[in-house]
Amino acid sequence: MSAGAETLQAPVATPDASGRWRPSTQGWVARGLVATILVGLLLLWILPSKNLAADRISNAVIFAIIGLSLNIVMGYTGQVSLGHHAFVGIGAFASAYYVTEKAHCTEASCSMPAFFTGVFIAIAIGAISAGILGLIALRIKGLYLALITLTYGFVAVNSIFEIQFLTRGGSGMPAPRPEEFASDRSYMFLCIAILGLLLFIDWRLVSSKVGRAILAVKHSESVAATYAVNVTNYKVFAFMLSGAFAGLAGALFAHRRTIVVGVDFTFQIALLWVLMVVVGGLGKRLGVVIGSMFFALFPFLVTKIGPLDHFIRNTMERDPDEFTLVMGPLLALLTLVQFKGGIAEQISPITRWLSGQRFSMHPEGHKPKEPGGLKKKLRGKENTGSATAANAAASSASSPSGNPDTSGAGAEPAAESSGSIEAKLRKGVK
Amino acid sequence: MGAVLEVKDMGIRFGGLVALDGVNIDVPEWEIVGLIGPNGAGKTTLFNCVMGLYQPNNGTVQYRGRDISLLPTHRKVALGIGRTWQNIGLVRELSVLENLLLAQHPRIRYGALAAIFGSPSTFLEERRLRANAMEVLDFLGLAHLADSKLDGLPYGTLKLIEIGTVLATDPDVVLLDEPSSGMGPDEAHAFGERLIRLRQELNLTVLMIEHHVPLVTEVCDYVYVLNFGKVLTHGKPKEVQRHPEVIAAYLGGDVEADTSEEPADATS
Repeated sequence: MSAGAETLQAPVATPDASGRWRPSTQGWVARGLVATILVGLLLLWILPSKNLAADRISNAVIFAIIGLSLNIVMGYTGQVSLGHHAFVGIGAFASAYYVTEKAHCTEASCSMPAFFTGVFIAIAIGAISAGILGLIALRIKGLYLALITLTYGFVAVNSIFEIQFLTRGGSGMPAPRPEEFASDRSYMFLCIAILGLLLFIDWRLVSSKVGRAILAVKHSESVAATYAVNVTNYKVFAFMLSGAFAGLAGALFAHRRTIVVGVDFTFQIALLWVLMVVVGGLGKRLGVVIGSMFFALFPFLVTKIGPLDHFIRNTMERDPDEFTLVMGPLLALLTLVQFKGGIAEQISPITRWLSGQRFSMHPEGHKPKEPGGLKKKLRGKENTGSATAANAAASSASSPSGNPDTSGAGAEPAAESSGSIEAKLRKGVK
Repeated sequence: MGAVLEVKDMGIRFGGLVALDGVNIDVPEWEIVGLIGPNGAGKTTLFNCVMGLYQPNNGTVQYRGRDISLLPTHRKVALGIGRTWQNIGLVRELSVLENLLLAQHPRIRYGALAAIFGSPSTFLEERRLRANAMEVLDFLGLAHLADSKLDGLPYGTLKLIEIGTVLATDPDVVLLDEPSSGMGPDEAHAFGERLIRLRQELNLTVLMIEHHVPLVTEVCDYVYVLNFGKVLTHGKPKEVQRHPEVIAAYLGGDVEADTSEEPADATS
């Protein structure tokens, strides 16, 4: 057992292990080619789209924006929002109300400044209303917070969306587009550009101190605080950013439809949004975008499958839209049980390879290996007189299985295991 | 000599349990002060009170003569009080390198909004942070692990990385909670030498909870013994070690029974 503690040694840095693995020139060319083909396919799909097809893509892009918004709450802060339809709806009505009532736009005449002011107001109101939720989230977590968000959504639907001057009741509030974006095609490009901007923001969020701080808060608030992270500020900030994204998505949604009705924002759709983020892969922006767009396009894809379409429409006498509510939970279940990490995890070998890493199917990517590999390491340990079995146990120190030393309250596992050593040492000291 | 950190009359109760009662501790400049005591003596509770993670019922904490009792935790850390955790205060969602970047949080010179809108200064600053982080990793001999995830790394390595992160917060005084747990005797010895070297190079003042008696005698300048929330005794390590009450507290009264009957409370 005296060898047990020794094997917990930190791996020794080797002089040639400092350089990270980088692909060769051919490797980069291959990656460039594959990336070009993927982008080309995407463009082939987007560029020729007009009218109905373009509108469908706009809808999918708006779903992707909502997915990114929910991803901030669910993926980064680790909370669940079942009331996101409230923020999206508030954004939609805010923008529509401003454009119609304050800027006096009509279908025929709507200026760009008025439109964008409406969008900015939607962003601001979305951020503020989500900020309130963030303040609640400072005190309540997990399931209880999810319930609060659920109520939040219901309250919004039954109060704010019922205000006559804001929503004009069941007939809806017009949300005209400016002339420049009057066609579905040009509006689609606007939506895509905004999605691109939000993806950039999300990228910078994750790769700067803000994202690290938010993830630290998710992990443990006390630990985050000992890295000088202001827990309160970052939590509220994350919720506000999510709300801003949601408000923006709402505004885009309103002007896509050119009319907003309260019944567009239901709990059902909020649930679907939660599911699409889970299926896409929590905390992974590319997966979330793909998952969200897939969910948005699903009713359309169903109609493309003849027998399925016939089954839903004629046999079940249902709308293909409703089928999403069946398929969504099923996919989420598959994600939770079989395909952990969702779409993002399934495509991760490709995305990792494209980003310049070695190709590997292992979800954690390529583990850094010491030269000579495991065998040499083990042999080295043997020479210094340790048992390889203990080594193997120590290398799995993070998993409690088969290593009872580490399972004890996480306090100081090895000290317990090496009790005899301590005794010897104490003897030596005395 | 002025004390960097002064804990005065610290007391906290959890319901009926008095976890700390009138604890006074001075941590003078440039000293390594040990805090020992059996399991449940209130050592970690004291750290939490000092850091402001618990609200003590009474008592004050002074940092370089300034009363910081009421400052929130993150402000204390920004002032230069670093802290490690008994069961590893690293963020599992981040890689080793990212943990070290996170630790530099108080010294990052860009705002949150500038960061998310991708201002150029962010990129430059991130590059600088990365260089700092690599420097710390190099110092600890862990540079080859920079890009790996925390899952699957040995416990001792994680402890070492945590020391790295607390150094990356650029502390003036550090509170180490059992830094050598999970290390073997050789590693603990190496750690002790490293700690002394760190103090030399970075002008660190250290308050550390430690059970590894050889390490305590080796590196500590002064030792406080805590038992049932009170300071039992304090003094130089050698004196404290011979103190009959300390031996009683640790070994349950029997001084010579150290071969067969390992004190169960020496390790928490």
